[in-house]
Amino acid sequence: MGGYHLKVAVSEMWRERWINLLSALSIAVGLFLIALAVLGVYNVKIVTKKLPERFSITVFLKDGLSASEVQEINRAIRKNPGVKTLTYTSKEDALKDLKATLLDSDYVMEGLEENPLPASIAVGLRRDSVTDSSVEALARKIEGLVGVSEVEYGKKLLRVIESVRKGSEFAGGFLISALSAALIFVCYSTVKILFYRKKEEIETLTLLGATRWFIRAPFLIEGGLIGLGGGVLSSLAIAAFVYAGYRKLAASVPLMGAFSMPPELLYWMPLTGLCLGVAGSLIAIGRIKF
Amino acid sequence: MDNIMISFDGVSKTYGHNPAIRNISFSIGKGEMSFLTGPSGAGKSTLLKLIYLAERPDSGTIFLDGMETEMVKESQVPWVRRKIGIVFQDFKLLPRTVFDNVALTLRIRWMHEDDVKPVVHETLKLVGLRHKADSYPAALSGGEQQRVVIARAIVGEPSVLLADEPTGNLDPDTAAGVMRVFREINARGTTILVATHNRELLKSTGNFIFRLDGGSLTEEMFQ
Repeated sequence: MGGYHLKVAVSEMWRERWINLLSALSIAVGLFLIALAVLGVYNVKIVTKKLPERFSITVFLKDGLSASEVQEINRAIRKNPGVKTLTYTSKEDALKDLKATLLDSDYVMEGLEENPLPASIAVGLRRDSVTDSSVEALARKIEGLVGVSEVEYGKKLLRVIESVRKGSEFAGGFLISALSAALIFVCYSTVKILFYRKKEEIETLTLLGATRWFIRAPFLIEGGLIGLGGGVLSSLAIAAFVYAGYRKLAASVPLMGAFSMPPELLYWMPLTGLCLGVAGSLIAIGRIKF
Repeated sequence: MDNIMISFDGVSKTYGHNPAIRNISFSIGKGEMSFLTGPSGAGKSTLLKLIYLAERPDSGTIFLDGMETEMVKESQVPWVRRKIGIVFQDFKLLPRTVFDNVALTLRIRWMHEDDVKPVVHETLKLVGLRHKADSYPAALSGGEQQRVVIARAIVGEPSVLLADEPTGNLDPDTAAGVMRVFREINARGTTILVATHNRELLKSTGNFIFRLDGGSLTEEMFQ
């Protein structure tokens, strides 16, 4: 019997093809914008995750610690789940590194009677653990360990990365929600118009003993198909944008080279269209009294 | 009560300040064919609407096949209507083929598509329209459209058939043909109530006739 309703929905869609086509196009445009917002958030997320890839906390140790005390600090730091690597640099190595960095300017080191540089441990972090709050918490924890004199990490950089990520997620989320609501309204209005245009037919169906869902089913299918159609169109548009237009742009603008698109987006768009279409139709047929 | 299909007891219905039906009481037995006559605006259509639950009475009680219609909830109305076949005055045919219009009654009842076809063709044969199955209503004459409506009303084998001015726009020969179909259906046990102002139709019917005037039942006679 679902076949009968599908047949009715398709024939009615053909009968009202212009209004349906316009609605599908409106949905396609809306979903295309949603896809762009998703791509924006997705790429900002990738970039902000890549930036702190080499991020580390530098733990400066007090002078005069024994090897076992350093090992104890190492063990205490490694207990934290966000810690990926630990690299110990002795006072001597720190001085060597400094001299190597200064090269011909190492005269600035002349006159120093003893090595002023402290031993340190570079704490490499797992990518997922690099957030403003988690790094700060870890730094405080390490700071409290016996033998640690100071802890340094790029607090400012982390805050900027965090706010860019959160800002893009908020703006993207807002845009996606607003556009989704608009698309539901497009489906809602279309189905409502189609419903009123068939008011006499619906009256006849009710008098013949049709249940509400028998009458509603084709409208629900129609709304879903309009959404699905809009979704397919938007997928085609986004594929054309990424694979044709965008690649040309990336070739001439190097910064754009890092851009990527999750392939799932291409089938998520029709599915999203279908869901928004069904949602709009459900609201429309639920509100109409007959 | 077991043998009564339709029963009105002190039923009144008013639209605004205009009374359409005033304190009407009558009953029609199962398997009977009755006529409801009276001038235009007498309340015939309202009376039929009260039976098929398109309207609810302001007062009084209506029984349909032993069930008090006032007790029927909105959600149950479709199931009650499936017991009733209706021949509408304005046809109410959908812009689909004759076959699909008639099949609609069965599809509403979720009949399997394989079973729909033979039943619809059999019914179209009964009303003499087997050859018009693929035509659209707009391409048919008034008489043919009327017979499509009758086919749609009887295809579900209803307990009651209500016909509102079924011969209103038909020539005498076609009207006689429609009445012949009604008698055939009645002979199969379906209770029929025909609302008409066509006095010719009432001659020598051998059926019960109710006369409505100004919303009141003025006469009941067996002719």
